[in-house]
Amino acid sequence: MIFPLFFSFLGNSSFGKTTSLPGFPKVSSYLQFQLAGTIVQGVLFGSVTGAAALATDIENGFFDRLLASPTSRTGILFGRLAGSVLFGAFSTAVFIFALLPFGADVSAGIRGVITMIISGALISLAVGALMSSVALKTGSSEAVQGTFPLLFILLFFSSAFFPRETMSGIYKTIAGLNPISHLVEGIRALSLDGFTASATARAVLVPLAIAIVALFIANSQLNKRLRSN
Amino acid sequence: MTNSPIIAENLVRHFGDVQAVKGINLEVKAGEIFGFLGPNGAGKSTVVRMLTTLLRPTSGTAHVAGFDVVKDADKVRRSIGVALQDAAIDPLMTGAELLSLQAVLYGIPSAMMKKRADELLERVGLTAAASRRVSTYSGGMRRRLDLALSLIHQPTVLFLDEPTTGLDPMSRLTLWEEVRRLNKEGTTVMLTTQYLEEADQLADRIAIIDHGKIVREGKPVDLKASVGAPTLIIKTNIDQAEKAKTVLSTFGDLRPGAEGALGVGLHGGATQVTDVVRKLDEAGVHVQHLEITEPSLDDVFAEATGYRLEGADNAPSAGDNGDEEPAKKKSRRGRK
Amino acid sequence: MNTATQLSAHISTDTMNHEKNLHTTTMRSAGQLIKRSLINTRRLPSAFIPTLAMPIFNMVSFSGTFFALTKLPGFPTDRSVNWFMPLGLAMGAAFSGVGLGFSLIRDLENGFYDRLRMSPTSRISLIVGPVLATWIRVTLVAIFVFIVGGFLGARPTAGVLSYVCSLVAALGISTIGAGWGLGLAFRFQDMRGAAIMQMSIFLTMFMSTAQVPLNVMTGWLHAVARVNPVTNIFRLSRSGWVNESSAGYMSWSNAYGGLIAIAVLSVLSLLFAVRSLKKIDK
Repeated sequence: MIFPLFFSFLGNSSFGKTTSLPGFPKVSSYLQFQLAGTIVQGVLFGSVTGAAALATDIENGFFDRLLASPTSRTGILFGRLAGSVLFGAFSTAVFIFALLPFGADVSAGIRGVITMIISGALISLAVGALMSSVALKTGSSEAVQGTFPLLFILLFFSSAFFPRETMSGIYKTIAGLNPISHLVEGIRALSLDGFTASATARAVLVPLAIAIVALFIANSQLNKRLRSN
Repeated sequence: MTNSPIIAENLVRHFGDVQAVKGINLEVKAGEIFGFLGPNGAGKSTVVRMLTTLLRPTSGTAHVAGFDVVKDADKVRRSIGVALQDAAIDPLMTGAELLSLQAVLYGIPSAMMKKRADELLERVGLTAAASRRVSTYSGGMRRRLDLALSLIHQPTVLFLDEPTTGLDPMSRLTLWEEVRRLNKEGTTVMLTTQYLEEADQLADRIAIIDHGKIVREGKPVDLKASVGAPTLIIKTNIDQAEKAKTVLSTFGDLRPGAEGALGVGLHGGATQVTDVVRKLDEAGVHVQHLEITEPSLDDVFAEATGYRLEGADNAPSAGDNGDEEPAKKKSRRGRK
Repeated sequence: MNTATQLSAHISTDTMNHEKNLHTTTMRSAGQLIKRSLINTRRLPSAFIPTLAMPIFNMVSFSGTFFALTKLPGFPTDRSVNWFMPLGLAMGAAFSGVGLGFSLIRDLENGFYDRLRMSPTSRISLIVGPVLATWIRVTLVAIFVFIVGGFLGARPTAGVLSYVCSLVAALGISTIGAGWGLGLAFRFQDMRGAAIMQMSIFLTMFMSTAQVPLNVMTGWLHAVARVNPVTNIFRLSRSGWVNESSAGYMSWSNAYGGLIAIAVLSVLSLLFAVRSLKKIDK
């Protein structure tokens, strides 16, 4: 959590003057723009840690012990993912309230904050489920940690730090195709544009859609692991 | 002052609150093989690390090859060869590369390097494996390479820290032979080991260290003689153990036996066995097993420390050669 | 007596007179340690690839994402690759430097380092050898970054000197990072040291002109970056990549601050490493 916060303060000082550039949305401060990127970044990295813990459980046999217990099989996975949801909601709230005093206003007001927290929880669920699939498939915490650079790359080639409108050529295209951009922009719309229908829909529906697909994948990976045991 | 190659006076080492070595006096004479015997954690390695300049003593002094290990660390380093526990060798390098690295570190002129390396490889039987990476070596090969490395500058004093721990019996014998050969050529050897047999076989003199203190020191023959009486060991039901002890104690000092067995040093010699058996029978003790042993280093150890080294989890066993897989990774920290 | 005659004297007399040839021995030991370090790089390339990939990634993503920065009034170049290539290179150099600390921790943990410490070679050579090996690796990284940067559109504004300045800055950063990394490794002797190395280097690098020039910064960062010596090193590194009309363009007055920062910080960090090595007592 420290890292994303450090990044956003660093960004605020570094890029404070860029908000007047053509293509940059109307914002009161770079921090207001950056809030969404910070939330997604924090949730993303937190999910890797969570999934790595699952992989470690598989490695040291604790997962097998759980399977041997009378708990429902899917309950084991979904219990963990419920943890991800709480983590996502919690860290989103922390980021919002940590950055609020420094000018990261949320135009959409209290309803916006609540929507953002829901969105953060859904993103955490989606990424958590995807990462858990990797953990279940490989059973190696090293493999899960190995996705870290990949997430980093996805994050940097997205609009998490800078608006797509200011990018040029190939970068603009990549950022446009990058799902991270869309996750970020949903939340960003809430902090910049206010509580509009389209902002709410983007902030909730995009992560929800990804979460559903991810849960499907995670469940099938769980079943595969159960069968192979 | 005498000119013995290793002299330690009141050597003490603390790690924080832990007193690993509590005042040790040692003298190893020129041309000796000196065995330093003790269980894991007794302080053996700490003493060796102080004598080889890796650790500074908390108090006390030590001279190796005539030089103070703290004030003249550099001169000590030039005079000694050290083969450390676990054969700390970079697995990515080949045997030959490690030898040339070692040669340069010890200031061997380039013109002599190749010849010296070839001699040593030949000596430890690794000529054929010289250009292979160390990660492909077996445990025994690594120890032999380690030995070769420690000999690159023809040291007069050689430290071997548990040179055969974890080796299979064959590799152990090969190493023993090599140590004997080096010693015949005039090298003074200080060897730490947790194997009584190793100390008995190789060492001219031994010291037993326990809980950071030397508890016995001398020639193996003399130490065994000092224990004197042969040991009678019996096994019986646990509920009869107390009764048996009472009977046994009338024949001599009780000695600890391995795994619930009872031992007694027979002051009257082995001929007393029949008397012991009769008395036990009269007392109603049912004897399940009986054996009599001449005094061994094991007995010396037991008498000195109150427990037996063999039978603990560190006894050398013939079946224990799992270390022959290459590329074993082991952390050597936290073992102090 | 100069080095060459000393060397030949050494070989011709074929003696083992250490005192006389201490200087030569130190150099040969350092040479062997360079060789070991490079051998290990070649045999375990997976450890080197990140230091090669990271600066490239850094350069590519930053110059793309923050492309619009160059349109700010007063930004010293209109090519974002020109601005971010020196940053990527500096990051790569810093991590090669502290990477030395990582491999040292491995050597300490598996006991290999005991072997080096027990040898009578000078303690200086135990530090200098690996640092020189790092220079070789950083130079390789730099060449790679310059080539890829060129493809992405980086154009020097001061010819060969542009490359020289960036390389000197990178070597300087790697030396500072190496001294710092080695020193911490000697002190901690385990992976706790590695975490501190990475964090501290990362923070120091970014609280400078790493991302934007001083005139673009606002608030606390401006205050910190102005006094951060790393800012001087970045000025040196970028002096051949900014517009000729900009204040940071190649000139002696823009170079010497960086050179002094490199010299002072390198000496301090290497002293820290040597002192920590001599203090090892575990």
